[in-house]
Amino acid sequence: MTTNVEVSGPRHGRRDPVSPTPRRSLRLGRLDIKYSPYLFVAPFFLLFAVFGAYPLVYTAVLSLRKNTLTGGDQGFVGFENYTKVLTDEHFWTVIGNTFGLFIISTVPQLIFALMVASWLNKKMRARTAIRMGVLIPNITSVAAVGIVFGLIFADRYGLANWLLQSVGLDAVEWRNHRWSSWTAIAFMVDWRWTGYNALIYLAAMQAIPKELYESASLDGASAVRRFWRITVPLIQPTILFTVIISTIGGMQLFTEPLLFNYGRIQGGSLNEFQTVAMYIYETTFTNNFNVGRGSAISWLLFLIILVFALINFLLVRRSVRGQTQ
Amino acid sequence: MSFTSRRVRSVAAAALTVGLALGMGACSAKKDNAGSDGSTGGPVTISLSYFGTPGFTQAVKDFEAANPNIKVDIKNEGQTKDFVPKLAQQLSAGSGASDVVMLEEGMLLQYLKDNKPFANLLDLGASSLESEYLPFKWKNAFTADGKKLVGLGTDVGPLAMCYRSDLFQQAGLPTDRDAVSKLWPTWDDYVKQGEVFKSKNLKATWLDSATSVMQPYIMQNSDTWFYDKSDKYIGDTNPVVKKAYDLGLDMASKGLTSKLARWSTDWDAAFKNAAFATVPCPPWYTGVIKERAGDAAKGKWDIATIPGGGGNWGGSYLAIPEQSKNKKAAFELIKFLTGKQGGIDAFKEAGPLPSSQSALADPQIAGATNDYFNNAPVGKIYVDAAKTLKPIYLGPKHQALWENAFEPAMQAAEQGKLTAQAGWDKAIKDSKALAEG
Amino acid sequence: MSTMTPTKPATRPAPAPKRPGRVRSASAALWDASPLTYLALILTIVLSIFPIVWSFIVASRDNSAVTDIPPPLTPGGNFFSNAQRVLENTDANFVYGLINSAIVAGCVTLSVVFFSTLAGFAFAKLKFRGKNALLLVIIMTMMIPTQVNIIPLYLLMVKLDWTNTLQAVIVPFLVKGFGVFMIRQYAESAISDELIEAARVDGASTWRTYWSVVLPALRPAAAVLGLLTFMETWNDFLWPYVVLNGDTPTVQVSLNILATGYYKTDYVQVFTGTALAIVPLLIVFIAFGRQIIGGIMEGSVKA
Repeated sequence: MTTNVEVSGPRHGRRDPVSPTPRRSLRLGRLDIKYSPYLFVAPFFLLFAVFGAYPLVYTAVLSLRKNTLTGGDQGFVGFENYTKVLTDEHFWTVIGNTFGLFIISTVPQLIFALMVASWLNKKMRARTAIRMGVLIPNITSVAAVGIVFGLIFADRYGLANWLLQSVGLDAVEWRNHRWSSWTAIAFMVDWRWTGYNALIYLAAMQAIPKELYESASLDGASAVRRFWRITVPLIQPTILFTVIISTIGGMQLFTEPLLFNYGRIQGGSLNEFQTVAMYIYETTFTNNFNVGRGSAISWLLFLIILVFALINFLLVRRSVRGQTQ
Repeated sequence: MSFTSRRVRSVAAAALTVGLALGMGACSAKKDNAGSDGSTGGPVTISLSYFGTPGFTQAVKDFEAANPNIKVDIKNEGQTKDFVPKLAQQLSAGSGASDVVMLEEGMLLQYLKDNKPFANLLDLGASSLESEYLPFKWKNAFTADGKKLVGLGTDVGPLAMCYRSDLFQQAGLPTDRDAVSKLWPTWDDYVKQGEVFKSKNLKATWLDSATSVMQPYIMQNSDTWFYDKSDKYIGDTNPVVKKAYDLGLDMASKGLTSKLARWSTDWDAAFKNAAFATVPCPPWYTGVIKERAGDAAKGKWDIATIPGGGGNWGGSYLAIPEQSKNKKAAFELIKFLTGKQGGIDAFKEAGPLPSSQSALADPQIAGATNDYFNNAPVGKIYVDAAKTLKPIYLGPKHQALWENAFEPAMQAAEQGKLTAQAGWDKAIKDSKALAEG
Repeated sequence: MSTMTPTKPATRPAPAPKRPGRVRSASAALWDASPLTYLALILTIVLSIFPIVWSFIVASRDNSAVTDIPPPLTPGGNFFSNAQRVLENTDANFVYGLINSAIVAGCVTLSVVFFSTLAGFAFAKLKFRGKNALLLVIIMTMMIPTQVNIIPLYLLMVKLDWTNTLQAVIVPFLVKGFGVFMIRQYAESAISDELIEAARVDGASTWRTYWSVVLPALRPAAAVLGLLTFMETWNDFLWPYVVLNGDTPTVQVSLNILATGYYKTDYVQVFTGTALAIVPLLIVFIAFGRQIIGGIMEGSVKA
């Protein structure tokens, strides 16, 4: 229901002939009611047009031209940039990395956030302090997280390996394998975002009438069953919301993998953890300064996000519906 | 409740108004000196963009003292990789670039090809300065047709070999720098000594990374690398590139390298933990080692000559963008910074070796010693090495080809993720694709 | 911070016990946190604060602390001398970075909260043609990755001659699709249609309804949005890094200069910088965290 907006008023005609509140007959009031909504939303759209829509369109224009930062604009080339990108295996590597990183960071993150939220959704001492403690990673900057975790996950002298070795495991060369680098990066992302999502879920959980749980409990439903049968279905819109937000964030992942490898845009010697966003930066701002191709990748990224968000939307909606029925 | 909300609201309104006003006011405090032009006769302010640590602070003060009509606004742009994209954007946009910009060698090479955004220093009076600079440095900043000079050289990076004398002692190798230099006249000798070192089973390895030998080996044995002189990609056919690659990976397979990625945190820490015994080092690298190895290693590092003799790593130029409105004053500044006094100031401040011949001859540089490196006569070692440097043609995208395509593939092979052959194939494929862009 | 004013009900009493009529005994077993819950939460919190605490510990010691194994767990005595070293570092310009970040985050927060409540209210409670389509556009704007727009946005800044000024990091971010969406979601449930109607019946204009009725009711959500916006702006890295230089840095740009430049190996300076960059947010967080969480609770009860 969160995303459905009821359309008001008739589709045709200047105004509703049967006004629900006939007292509003003053001309000024009518104008106010008719145009104020537009005035209220106008600032957003005006500013967005200049600093959001125009650059997006301009990126599309650039993607159809041969253009480098050092050599300038060299004319229209149609879809050449796109075909070059799509036939380059490098592009598919970074697509794979981006999706892989997204999945292995988002899935545990949201599950853990749900768990934390259900723990927080209890009567307890020092409630505010505990909630703040959970949210605190979110107030640190990505740059700081990258710097600090880069050292925690240093191969030979890092804390993570020290911990592994002190429980008898082998040290991991974090940046040398796909799985290990993904794990480390997912850890950084999850560290920063789990608490935030947990609080969003908590807010939604608080809205569920407690009587539902109490009667379910009286009917003998276990805690796990109550969680899956009551909590999850009822906070479905919120889950959908966090999934979409995480998708958008995950597809744009940039700073963490960059700082994880000490600012190297290639993300590992075989591009093991280079994301699409890093590939855009590498293409546009280093090497050949290829603005045209960078713009083409940008647009592809944008389209992927749109499609992926849509799929998410449908999947989450369906699965949560399934739970309720 | 309603009282509270009203109060809150009025405070909010006030805060909003004040905040926005403050914001807009504060935020419109613009850079004040963007377009002061020299014709008014008053003092001119020019801007200077640099990256890394060229040691310009004192030199700029000296320049301002000598030129009271010129003020210099110094801009620290961070690292090379931060500055490269920013400068490219400013140049393509036609505004925003500083009056004087520092160009690392790799950047200069790119801009020799796309040289439109830069002023010809010959038109500003540089032609009389030729004898001031090391010949190869002077020559390297000309466009292919030899008609346009894009930059003047600040520093050069002649190579030596830094080594840890404490590890040498434990391995039973000589520790005196002259005796150490005699251990390795050639790279084969260097590898042999590495195997001796390895046989002593110390915790340390011989060299930090297989990629460290590429630069010196190629520079010593060829006058080209990835490009021939007509800018055609020859990385796949240049025999010296393959030889250097094989030399590095051979050392890796013998267990002589630490397999560390240069400039990584682990590599930083390895200095402190004495994890390797030798590393090729240009003058600016002495600061790199000192920073990383820390006070505890003071006196344990020393400097010998490099196997094979010669080779240059790094070094920058100063150039003037065509968009500058104060080219004359800008030229005065780069003349000063790359000249004798500027070179000496920078050397004393941060350690880069100037390309100005008169600065190199000055006892403040030629006679300098470095107490961190066991009082090694760094001045003499590096000035001697600088005089033997010969030009190598690197070509427009050398830096990107090396850093972003070749080096990662070579590292992957060193770390065992690829076979030596597969690593080579990837290095060539990627660098070629990049060169043909 | 003045930006947080709308969230601070100075005279409000401590939250009263909710739903006094509830049968406590029946729900106690269900709702009281078990020791296991406490343990799980404490572990979560330890994991959450450890990296932050660790950077403060390193920041109070010397360079060897970074690679010491096992890691030092107690602070040393050098924090203030380290902090002084960072603040006096002329390349990083840390003091300017802090001031600039405060200005930028303050401006952006005020503006985002104002425009978001305005538009969010309209989308949630007002009737107008094209609402569906416009809301869809807002949701779509949330899906535009920052990276996609960096190049043209930079070129735009150059055209406006705004590079290296604070406008460049403020003006493009005065509105946020997320803010509008979030407020709209909140307003849907938190503001009853009857409330709006009542205001209308009293003859209040739409603006007056917004200002006197809606805005106060939206306070909790606006506070959360404000805090999130402030933190996000304070912490933003990529765009300031592209459009600003070391002369007009935000604190993250200063931090980057410390972390990647010449000082890269002076870990203590880097960690001290990291700690200093976090401190202002910690203060904001500690001062307003309670209101934020209270706001979330309040909203949920109303739903």
